Amino acid sequence: MAKDQPNVFDLVPLLGSTDLHELEQVKNLLQETLSADKGTVLLNSLVDYFLETSSSQAVDILSSVREPHDKYLLDKMNECMGKQSCRLSTITLLGHIVRKQPPWIHKIARLPLLASLLKCLKADSDVVVLITGVLVLIALLPMIPQTNKQLLCEYFDIFGRLAAWNKRHPGHAHGVFAVHLHASVYSLFHRLYGMYPCNFISYLRAHYSMKENVDTFEEVVKPMLEYVRIHPELITGTKEYEVDPIRWKRFEPHDIVIECAKISLDSKEASSEEGYSTLSDHIPRRPVDHSRSCSELSIHEITSVTPMAAVRQSLSLSLPYLTVTQDSGSSAQTPNHQSDRMNSSGTMEEMWSPSSVCGMTTPPSSRGMSPTTVSDVSHSASHLSGRIPSTSGDGKWTLSPSTPSGSSPLPSLSEEIGQPAQNTSSTQAKVIQTGKELRKVTPRSINNNGGASDAKIPVSLAQLSDIVKRTDGGREDDTINEEILSLTLGRLDFGMRQGLDSSFSGSLDTLLSSHPSHEQNLVSTPNRVEFSAKGGGEQQPWSFWPTFTPIENGKSSNCSLSDLTKGSMPYEPLFDLALPKVASLFLELKTTEAIRRAEQESEHQEELEGEDLSATSPLEVLDRVIQQGHDTHEKVLKRTLSSQSQTADPHSGGPVSTASDELGMLRSQLLLLHNQLLYERHKREQHALRNRRLFGRIVNTTALEEQNNSMKTQLKLQDIEIKTVQVSLKEEQRRSRHIQEDRDALVNQLQTQIQQLQKERNDYYSKMQELKSDLQENQKKVGEMEAELQKANNKVCNMGHMLSQLSIKLNNSENMEQQMAFLNKQLLLLGEANKLCMKEIDRLGPEVSKELNMLQASSLREVERLRQSSLQQSQRLEAAQQRITDLETQLPKKEQVIREQKKLLENVKSQAMEQLQASENRYLAQKHITQALQAELLELYSQIELKILNTKSPAKPTSEPNSPPNQRPKSNSTDPSAPSLSADPVKKEEGMHVCVNGEISAGSPQTPTAFINGSQEEDLSALTRSFPALPCDSPLAVGSYPSTGSFLGKRAREMFRNKSESHYEGEPAAFTCLSKDLKVESVADPTESVELEEATDQADLQPMDRPRAYNIQRRRQQDLRIMDYNETHHEH
Amino acid sequence: MVAEPSRNFRSAYYEKVGFRGVEEKKSLEILLKDNPLDVEKLSTFSQRFPLPSMYRIHVWKVLLGILPPHSDSHALVSRYRLEQFDDVNGALTAMRFIHASTPATELYLRMYQLESRQLPRRSELRPPDDEDENFLAIGRAMEEIVDDPVDCYWLIRCFINQFKLKFGDSIPHLPKSLEHFLSQEDAALLAHLKTSGALRSLPYCLWFRRCFAGCLPESSLQRVWDKVISGSCKILVFVAVEILLSYKIMLMGMSDPDGVYNFLSNMPQENTDAIVTKAIDLWHKHCGTPMHSV
Repeated sequence: MAKDQPNVFDLVPLLGSTDLHELEQVKNLLQETLSADKGTVLLNSLVDYFLETSSSQAVDILSSVREPHDKYLLDKMNECMGKQSCRLSTITLLGHIVRKQPPWIHKIARLPLLASLLKCLKADSDVVVLITGVLVLIALLPMIPQTNKQLLCEYFDIFGRLAAWNKRHPGHAHGVFAVHLHASVYSLFHRLYGMYPCNFISYLRAHYSMKENVDTFEEVVKPMLEYVRIHPELITGTKEYEVDPIRWKRFEPHDIVIECAKISLDSKEASSEEGYSTLSDHIPRRPVDHSRSCSELSIHEITSVTPMAAVRQSLSLSLPYLTVTQDSGSSAQTPNHQSDRMNSSGTMEEMWSPSSVCGMTTPPSSRGMSPTTVSDVSHSASHLSGRIPSTSGDGKWTLSPSTPSGSSPLPSLSEEIGQPAQNTSSTQAKVIQTGKELRKVTPRSINNNGGASDAKIPVSLAQLSDIVKRTDGGREDDTINEEILSLTLGRLDFGMRQGLDSSFSGSLDTLLSSHPSHEQNLVSTPNRVEFSAKGGGEQQPWSFWPTFTPIENGKSSNCSLSDLTKGSMPYEPLFDLALPKVASLFLELKTTEAIRRAEQESEHQEELEGEDLSATSPLEVLDRVIQQGHDTHEKVLKRTLSSQSQTADPHSGGPVSTASDELGMLRSQLLLLHNQLLYERHKREQHALRNRRLFGRIVNTTALEEQNNSMKTQLKLQDIEIKTVQVSLKEEQRRSRHIQEDRDALVNQLQTQIQQLQKERNDYYSKMQELKSDLQENQKKVGEMEAELQKANNKVCNMGHMLSQLSIKLNNSENMEQQMAFLNKQLLLLGEANKLCMKEIDRLGPEVSKELNMLQASSLREVERLRQSSLQQSQRLEAAQQRITDLETQLPKKEQVIREQKKLLENVKSQAMEQLQASENRYLAQKHITQALQAELLELYSQIELKILNTKSPAKPTSEPNSPPNQRPKSNSTDPSAPSLSADPVKKEEGMHVCVNGEISAGSPQTPTAFINGSQEEDLSALTRSFPALPCDSPLAVGSYPSTGSFLGKRAREMFRNKSESHYEGEPAAFTCLSKDLKVESVADPTESVELEEATDQADLQPMDRPRAYNIQRRRQQDLRIMDYNETHHEH
Repeated sequence: MVAEPSRNFRSAYYEKVGFRGVEEKKSLEILLKDNPLDVEKLSTFSQRFPLPSMYRIHVWKVLLGILPPHSDSHALVSRYRLEQFDDVNGALTAMRFIHASTPATELYLRMYQLESRQLPRRSELRPPDDEDENFLAIGRAMEEIVDDPVDCYWLIRCFINQFKLKFGDSIPHLPKSLEHFLSQEDAALLAHLKTSGALRSLPYCLWFRRCFAGCLPESSLQRVWDKVISGSCKILVFVAVEILLSYKIMLMGMSDPDGVYNFLSNMPQENTDAIVTKAIDLWHKHCGTPMHSV
């Protein structure tokens, strides 16, 4: 890369090379380097190169730079823009780039280049720069539609400045420049109005409401406003919506261009698209537009200052020629005209190549436009144009001969043709004329001419010039222009006309004066003859101009005509293919257009003499000026060629004679022309883009139509099918009806059969019923018989049973009889025994009854005693039960106490734990202290030892014992504190223990737990000891109460005091009484039993009594002891 | 506590009107009347409400375990504490680590070192390291809050021990959670701190190891410590967040991490009460109010 670098820079100048192959190579190399290199050096050198040479190759390369370079390029250009010298070429370069439309072009809106361009447009005073800049801006606007208010204001300011340019700088701008400027301002106007109508209108309103701007508005802006229709956005849109990026997102640049063109009424600016889209509506209108634009053309020519005379002259002179060329199709031509035409065609071939004209106005060949179609269309156009005379020919051509011999047919012809054109122009405001109407108009105009011709003929051109010299009032005399004048009088520009008039007269003079040879051509028309006769006295040095201009002009206008037709040509074949109907419509349109145009040509003449100045499109004027410029160029050429004859003219100075001046002007004009051309080409490209898209749509729609048609045919086929199917359906229906009838008949027959069968069945049924009733009766009888049989059987059974019973009874009675006999025998025996017993009893006596009585008394007493004891026992039972319930109620209380005690214990435990922790903490601290102290001690020791080692005195052993005492006091001073501290807590802890246990007698050696147990035991033994006499242990021994001395016990007692105190006191008394009773009884009992023993001899009863008494007592004790829970073991 | 008969019927309105702490003081008194003090309830109370200053030291002592929950043994235990303090003090004096003019904080540090067996030899005395500095900073702050030197020493000691024991693991994660909460509160500030690199060099040591000792004035600091002692180290994060939010404008103006560090280390001392109040609100908002029926 580094090696290539110098080479590449060397290559830049080679772009100027003429060798095409080399050039190509150089270009490729440069482009490759550019795409590979990130640097800006090459780019800058390329730009510089372009600024120096304006090389088109450099433009090619520069306009195709890729993404990263664009910024550098634009920056570089911005830099160049600052320099006055290379501003123009920079803007030109920018124009090239913009037209190339690279993908990064939208970025320009954010870069300073745009700002500096706008600044330049606002501040620069060079017209060429301004025009070029404006054209670039116009081309750029659709590419950066998303703008902000600020930029928009700048655009508008530029517009305002440029619109007022002529006004502000009168004479500053060269005439041609003025035309160019005006045209570009016009384009800018269209663009701004098309893109931002609301903002623009509000700007216009604000700007031109100021007094100082009113003139500019009247002169410049107002005419422009006449060429635009009301923008729909003005009604639906808002200012904000216009600058809204969303709105612009769906538009491509060419869409925007078309959008702008749509709102234009100017044929040069307007889009021809609408004509196709809604053809029927727009056909009539277009011719009107054309005619008007033609008239505008001639009017605006007048506004341009310097070449105006020449233009006018040329136009006026060209008209005869024009008519001739248009009439070329028809045979009726004077020989003079023929020769004139020959001449003109000769020159035309010399000066103009049709291709150049084509190249200028038609899209490039890359569009696929074949030359054959071009020629075809041009041919058709010319044919059509030729047809005009033939249609109206009768009236026209008859008229011309009828005019007096002095007048030539030519003026009349031109006038005649002009007449309808005027008509159209006069009606343009209100009437939309169709092609047919136009044709009607022509005869009418002929009629008019018929009337007017008399008045017309005497009026010579010289007279015309006279009339022109006069003010507008004088115009009315001109019969030819009567109608136009009446229409356009108010709008005439007087100031301009002065110049016009003089130039006109001048040019007329030149025609006459010094060049008879050339004049011959013109003079050949009778008009000229007359003219020459009138203005013969006057001499004009301008020789070649007037003579050649007519030819030129005629040709150029011819060319422009063909251009116009060509302009729409390339699409025509497409439409022919795609839309046959539309194409035919289009052809029709073409013819009307052509007719119109033919009329316009003649109209030029009319309007030249004095017509609506404000009604001409600036573009038309520009066209004119361009042609004019070409004419001048021609002339200069001619003049240089035939310099001898020309130099003779003394007056030839003017703008042409000062050659250098002229050359400079021409050069800049050429530049402007080129810019304009490029701008127009850019516009065409945009149109072509759009057209291609539209064509794509058309192809789509035709394809859809095709599809539609095929679908239709399919539909028809299906219809037919449906019909056949319907016929077969009817046949089938008929057949099915037959079958139905047959079936009905069969059904009827079968039904009658069924009825018969049913009747039979009914008969059978009734018979069967009867039989059934018989059967039932029989069955009933059988049932009765069976019942009877059962009864009989029952009777037999009963009888059998009774028989067996009777036999059993018989057996029984027999057994009884036997027993009776046995019993009788026993009775006899017993009677005997009884007698013996009676004898025995009599022998025994009264002793038996006494013992019996005693036994009875003792048993009674025994019963009494038992009853007593049972009573007593039940009483005890009751007491015991009461005791149980009492104890049961005490149980939960006790449990609660236990729970509380547990909680308390827990509490105490945690408290102790914390205290322990605190003391543990202390202990640890102490430990750490001692450790620290020990460490300190050791350290000190080691120091001392080290010191001793160091000093190494001989009295080492003696010094050693000395040191401990020294040390000791120190350690002593700390040590005692620790023991004393540690001793104290121990003491206090003991104290605490004592406190906890609740013993006042401190210092007892017993451990608390042991003490508690001991005291309890003592208490218990004391309790047992306190009731030794009682036969049964007191229930108080329940005494599971903790000892009174213990801590827990204390608390427990506190809780129980109220309830158990009374219990304690009351119970023992009751029990002692009871036991006393028992004791008395037990003492009394044995004595009684001894008495009984002695009284009665029945010993077997006594031993039974004693143990019982003992048992009772024992049981009583046990009963009582049940109440004692844990003291049973104390008994034994 | 629920069926408190003397419960003021106006209590429902106090908070609405904006009087805080009227009822709280009462309920704290009720809590302190319990014989075995309910430490859990006390810590919940301290988390939820600001402590009245007259009870603050007492509550701190209980929460830090300097005083046992049993009020009966308070006298004994406090005597132990006093004696321990005297002992250690005496030992240090004997070892000539300290003398009469030694500043109290250094005394505390030496005592702490002695008790944790980190006391260096006197011949090997070295300048205080980071941990010692943290201790000294906390000690200085505590000295301002507590008058009695014994209490002061014990509070410092137990505070540091508890802080290390309870939150030692979570402290390294605090900067991360600071970032998290800051992103919720003010993402722009966080982004600024991140881009300027100041987030990494915030005074985390001052905030999270010294618990803002030396950063906030004691009046505000003790409210923060209430929460720390009652068992939440998250509050430190929220105080830090609130500090950042309060000085957002200043911080947004600074792009130099050292400047941010210096500014935050020597924060202006005014308006800190508001910061702490807001921080506590923020803490309650994000971590929820600790629910425990008081």
